[in-house]
Amino acid sequence: MEITAGYLPEMNNETIEYREIIYSYNGLTAKVKVPQLSPQQLSKIMSIVKANAHILKSFSVSELVAIIDQAIHILLDRQSKQRRLAETWLPIITGYDQEIIRTGLTTFLQRFRKHELQRFLVEDFGNPQLLDDFQPLVKGGYSKAVGADVTGHIWAGNVPGLPLWSFISALLVKSGSVGKTASEEPLFAGLFADILAEVEPKIKNCFAIVTWKGGDEEREALFFEGCETIIAYGSDQSLASIKQRVPVTSKLISHGHKISFSIIGKESLHMQKAVETSHLAALDLIRYDQQGCYSPQAIFVQKGGLITPGEFAKYLAHELSALEIRFPRRELSIEESASFIRNQQREEMSLFAEENKEIISDENGRWIVIYKDHSSEFLPSVLNRSIQVFAFDEIDEVLEKIKHYKKWLQTAGMSTSPENVFLWSQKLSLHGVTRMTGIGRMTSPEAGWHQDGGFSLADLVKMTDIEASTLELAEPLSAYSN
Amino acid sequence: MLMDGKVVLVTGASRGIGASIARAFAKEGALVIINYLQNREAAERVAKECSDLGGEGWPIQGDVTNELAVQEMIEEAMEAGSIDVLVNNAFKSYIFDAENRKPAGELSWPEYQEQIDGSLQSAYNMCQAVIPIMKTQSKGSIINITTNLIERPVVPYHDYNTGKSALAGYSKNLAADLGRFGIRVNCVAPGLVYPTDATKHTKQDLKDSIISQTPLRRLAKPEDIAGPVLFLASDMSSFITGQTLMVDGGLVMK
Repeated sequence: MEITAGYLPEMNNETIEYREIIYSYNGLTAKVKVPQLSPQQLSKIMSIVKANAHILKSFSVSELVAIIDQAIHILLDRQSKQRRLAETWLPIITGYDQEIIRTGLTTFLQRFRKHELQRFLVEDFGNPQLLDDFQPLVKGGYSKAVGADVTGHIWAGNVPGLPLWSFISALLVKSGSVGKTASEEPLFAGLFADILAEVEPKIKNCFAIVTWKGGDEEREALFFEGCETIIAYGSDQSLASIKQRVPVTSKLISHGHKISFSIIGKESLHMQKAVETSHLAALDLIRYDQQGCYSPQAIFVQKGGLITPGEFAKYLAHELSALEIRFPRRELSIEESASFIRNQQREEMSLFAEENKEIISDENGRWIVIYKDHSSEFLPSVLNRSIQVFAFDEIDEVLEKIKHYKKWLQTAGMSTSPENVFLWSQKLSLHGVTRMTGIGRMTSPEAGWHQDGGFSLADLVKMTDIEASTLELAEPLSAYSN
Repeated sequence: MLMDGKVVLVTGASRGIGASIARAFAKEGALVIINYLQNREAAERVAKECSDLGGEGWPIQGDVTNELAVQEMIEEAMEAGSIDVLVNNAFKSYIFDAENRKPAGELSWPEYQEQIDGSLQSAYNMCQAVIPIMKTQSKGSIINITTNLIERPVVPYHDYNTGKSALAGYSKNLAADLGRFGIRVNCVAPGLVYPTDATKHTKQDLKDSIISQTPLRRLAKPEDIAGPVLFLASDMSSFITGQTLMVDGGLVMK
């Protein structure tokens, strides 16, 4: 099987070279051809997108919402050609199970339907018409939100669909986009760009989805130079390298690796609730095998419920073993596999030294639950269905464990009483956590969420003000002035 | 082999159905812990047979009706590292004398109690000790041996059948609660098994009468029981719990 990834605007007879990336999974092999642009071609593309930015700006924000909505519905339609392409190719490219991709895609794409996009806009702007025209301000004067001509995206990782967050955000603020896909998943962003161009041919030259080898200084310099705003995903190391090279005049928004966790209150730990709770907690773990920044790396379980934290770890273990049959973990690379096994061995070695520690693992090494009492340290997980469960009495014990990771914390999944939701959120917010969500929902952030504490849309615009004095001075200058 | 590397504990395994079950597991590569009450020699013989069959046999004495004795036995057994399968086969000795059995209304409560204790309490003691181990393993299979008489009291041995019925109810409830830990609980309900120590004196008349109503036209042999137990212990039945397999040649059909 062979498919061409990426998306290029019209380039007038340019000969584009393609590089082949081979993926295999479950005996199937996929050959994905990604455009390999020369520095000159990349430069040309940047100029085309920039030159066409005015087209996006000629649409009203509600027109753009309607276009995105239509494109999303094409991908939600399981019979559509594009959806079938995604369902066929993504499992081979990413290694994730077909069922995970199918259900995961639908849940993910639903976030971008019209009514969700409207909430997304209201969340960041209050009045979305700020993107269309100057709007009156309470303090006096007028403001308009203006998106960049070109927003650059550097995507990372293999969680399908993830590039859509920043791509759609840029579209909503009427900004052109040039996106660089990750070699782990080069397909989906281009597929979406194709659909957009099909839904509204007028915007077909307003974006490009390309790729090059990360760290290619010549191409990256051209790219950084051509973008007003850059949204970059990746490891702390690659983000640091990007940061050094982005011109001072460009804005860099970076999303590095994050640490997320769940907290289960004792209210959820009675006989009727505990099974459901463990099921939800396990779902957060198996969705994309903890590869998302919002996936839990530890679960803190409160003591004092009918089901003890140790017992809950066992519930969780069985849920993982049952889910493994329905949604098997993807095949790990040799390095990932080695790191998973090394971690298991290290944990097993300390079994005798750490009192009350328990390890429950799958005989084929496809998941592991490590139960630790409060004296143990919380270490970042090796992921791929590896979870630490800690017992705690009071929330302060959780805070003590996470405090070293303040810079990296992101989502806390919760299952507790409304009173505790606010009490705990208050404390967690001071420790760097930026998102609380129900367990079972950790991997599906709401539209309009503040990723890593930032504004998804507001951070992409420049607010342009007409101060009240401008009008005060202007009034007497009108032709009809008395 | 089906049970390679697995540790199986069979109660009352020095003779009869229990010994036959032990041998079947050993043949499939298991380490079989042969629990016995009195007959050390017989238990050692079964252990030797287990080794000859390609598995391993390990006799451990223990009165399953005594909670403390059970705890000690399980502590010793855990030297094997785990307990993957528990077969509660032991039962309070009972004289199956169809002609001289007591009719309804003539049994004292202590007679009932004795059988309930023998059947249910012994299984309870074993399960109490083994379930925590299986929870930690996130996997396990418990098989309780009952009787087809609980479905169709061809001979209403009131005390015995009531004790076994209690065990069947106990098993289903365990199954409902332990599934969440990956522990399965099932029952095997044999019909009249011949020959065993308990049935060697069963009258020909009764045997003929049972055979005449049995589609497969014979009585069960001890080896007939081992197969279904092995099935319920192995991963071949990994999605079966809370069930009772009737092993009686089709006499009882549900």
